[in-house]
Amino acid sequence: MHPTIRRVFNAQQSGLILVILLLGAILTVFAGSHVDRMTGRSVNNFLNFHTLTQTATDASFFAIMAVGATMVIISGGIDLSVGSIYALAGTTMAMALRSWQFSNPFVTVLVALMLCLGIGLLCGLANGVMVVGLRVHPFIITLGMMWVFRGIAFVMSKAESILVPDALTSVVKTTFGSSSALYPLPMLVMIAVTALGAIYLSRTVMGRHIYAIGGNSEASRYSGLRLGRILIGVYALSGLTAGIAAFVGISYYGSATCGDATGYELYVIASAVVGGASLSGGKGSAINAMLGAVLIVLIRQAIRQLHFDQNYEWIIIGSAIVIAVVLDQLNTRLTAKRLAKG
Amino acid sequence: MNRLGKAFIVLGCVAVLAVASSFAQAKKTIKIALIAKNSTNPVFLAARTGAEAAAKELSAKHGIDIVIDWRTPPTEDAQVQAQRIAQAVNEGDDAILVSCSEAGKVTGAINDAVARGVPVMTFDSDAPQSKRFAFYGVDDLRTGEQVMSELAKQLGGKGKIAILAGNQNAPNLRRRVDGLKKEAAKYPGIQIVGVFNHIETPQDAAAEVLRVMNAYPDINGWGFIGGWPLFTKTLLTDLDPNKVKVVSVDALSAELPYVEKGIAPVLLAQSTYLWGYVSVEKIIDKLVLKKDVPEITRMDLVRVSKENLGTWARQLKAWGFTDVPEEYLKLP
Repeated sequence: MHPTIRRVFNAQQSGLILVILLLGAILTVFAGSHVDRMTGRSVNNFLNFHTLTQTATDASFFAIMAVGATMVIISGGIDLSVGSIYALAGTTMAMALRSWQFSNPFVTVLVALMLCLGIGLLCGLANGVMVVGLRVHPFIITLGMMWVFRGIAFVMSKAESILVPDALTSVVKTTFGSSSALYPLPMLVMIAVTALGAIYLSRTVMGRHIYAIGGNSEASRYSGLRLGRILIGVYALSGLTAGIAAFVGISYYGSATCGDATGYELYVIASAVVGGASLSGGKGSAINAMLGAVLIVLIRQAIRQLHFDQNYEWIIIGSAIVIAVVLDQLNTRLTAKRLAKG
Repeated sequence: MNRLGKAFIVLGCVAVLAVASSFAQAKKTIKIALIAKNSTNPVFLAARTGAEAAAKELSAKHGIDIVIDWRTPPTEDAQVQAQRIAQAVNEGDDAILVSCSEAGKVTGAINDAVARGVPVMTFDSDAPQSKRFAFYGVDDLRTGEQVMSELAKQLGGKGKIAILAGNQNAPNLRRRVDGLKKEAAKYPGIQIVGVFNHIETPQDAAAEVLRVMNAYPDINGWGFIGGWPLFTKTLLTDLDPNKVKVVSVDALSAELPYVEKGIAPVLLAQSTYLWGYVSVEKIIDKLVLKKDVPEITRMDLVRVSKENLGTWARQLKAWGFTDVPEEYLKLP
C-alpha cells in the first residue's frame, strides 16, 4: 500500500470518518428526494446544501463544547456543568443586552461575545479551583456546579425567555451571499474551535502536559509538572468553549432561557467518548470529539430520514455509543497485541 | 407458448404496472410535519391521533394523499424543535404544524420556513411574533381565570391554594398562571401559597404536588393549569378528597377516575384531539382549497364533572382513544 494511503487509513480519525461517510452514503441512497419549491428541481433529501449545513449546525453546539470537555476527559476528569454554563452565559448575555440597548450593532456583538466568553471562563475557573483546592472528585464538583449555575440563571432571569438583539442573530445567521436560509457560521466556528483545540493539544507544551497528567498523574507530579495549575486551566478551557457555544447557539436561535442546553452535557461527553476519548484519561482528540458530535447528530438525522419510529431514538443512540466504544477498545487491544508481537 | 409470446406477456405486465404506477404517482401528496412539545405527553399523542384522522378523512374527500410526518422531540427542547422545523423544510414537507415550547427560540426557524415557501401553523402554544399564518388553541388567560373560578366554587370562596404550572418557559402556561392569579384577586378569602413549576412529565408533576403538600399541609385547593399529575394514579391514593380539591385543565382517559373519586370534581378539557384535527383542516383549507384562514381560532374548554362523565368518556372513545375505562362508557 502507498505510504500516504496507509497513513490516511492509520490516522486516528479514519474510522470515524469512514463511519460518517458510510452513514452519509446510506442516507443519500435511501432518504429519497423531493421537488424543491423554489427551483422545481428534484432534490435528494439528504445530499443537499441545506440538510448538510443544518446537520453541521446542529452538531456545532455540542461539538464546540465537546472540544473543551475532551481536554477535561484527557486530563482524567469530567465536566458535567457545560450545559449549565451555556445557559448561564446565554441568559446573562441576553439580560445585559436587554438592559444596555446598544445602538451600534458592532458594539452589541462585541459585548455579547465578551460576556459569553468571560462568564464561560469564570465558571470553568470556579470548577477548576474547586476540583484542585477541595480535592473532591470532579464528577461531584461539576455535578453540584451544574445545578448551581443553572439555578443562578433561573433566579436571575426569573425563568423568562429573553430575546437577543437582531444584530446578533444576523451576524451568526449570515449567509455569506449564498441563497437564503443557509447559515454556515456555526459550522465554521466549530471547525475553528476544533482546529485550535487540536493544535493546542498536539502542538503545544501545555497540551502535552494534559495528556501526561491523564496518562499518569503521579509520574507527572514527580517529573515536576504543576498539576493544580494545569487542571485549573483545563476546566477554564472547558468553560470557555461552553461560553463560545452559548454565544453561537443563543445568537442563532434568537433567545435565551435558564432551561437552555438541559441534558446537553451527556451529548457532549458522548461525543468525546465516541471520538475515542478514554474516561480514565490520557487519550482523546479534539478532531475526534467534533467527529463524534457529527456522528451522533447524523444518527439522529438518519432515524428521521430513513423513517424509523423516532421513539427508538434513545435506544439507537445509546447502542451506537456502546458499540463505538467497544470497537475502539477492541482496536486498541489489537494494536497493542500487534505492537507487542512486532 | 413460444418465447416471443412469453416476452409479450412480460412486456404487457410491465406496461400495466408502469401505467398503474404513473396513476398512483399522479395522486398529489401533502406532507404535514407535526411538531408538538414532547412525545411522552398524552395530550400531544391525542393531537397526533386527531391529525391522522383528519388526514385520512380529507385525503378521501379531496382525492389527495395527506401524510402526517410526526417530528416531535422525545423531551421538551425548543432548540430541537427549531432544528426539526428546518429539517422538515429540507426534506420537502409541504406544511408545518407546531406547538412552541419557547416562542423566541422557534420564531427564527418558522420565519425561515415561511421564507422558503412552507406555511407554518401553530397550535396549543403560539409564536405570535413569527410569520405563522394561523394559531389554534384556547385563550390562555381565560383558561386560567376559568380554573380559578371553578376552584373558588369548590372551596366556597375561601382557603389556601397552590398552582401547578408546568414548564416555566412556556408562554401559554405563564399566561394561564396570570389568568388564575387575576381571577384569584376577586376572592379575598383565597390565599395562593405558591406557583410550582416542574418538568412536564406525569411522574415529576405528581412528585411536585406531594412535595408541596408535605411543605404546606394546610393547602385545600390546587389549580393545575395542565393535567400532568393526573396521568398517574399516585394522587388517587395520596390526596384526600375531603381535604383537597383539584381543578385541572385537560380531561383524558387516565384523569377520569379523579372526577369519579371527587378529588378533581371539575376538569376543564381541552379537546386535544381537535388540536390535530382542526389544525390539519385549516392547513388543507389554505394549502389545497386556497381558502382564507382566520389568524386565530379559539378552542372552547369543555367542563367535565360527574354529571357528564359518561358523555365525555364516549366522546374520547369516538375520537379514537382506546384506553377509556369501560365503566365510564356505561354511565348515563
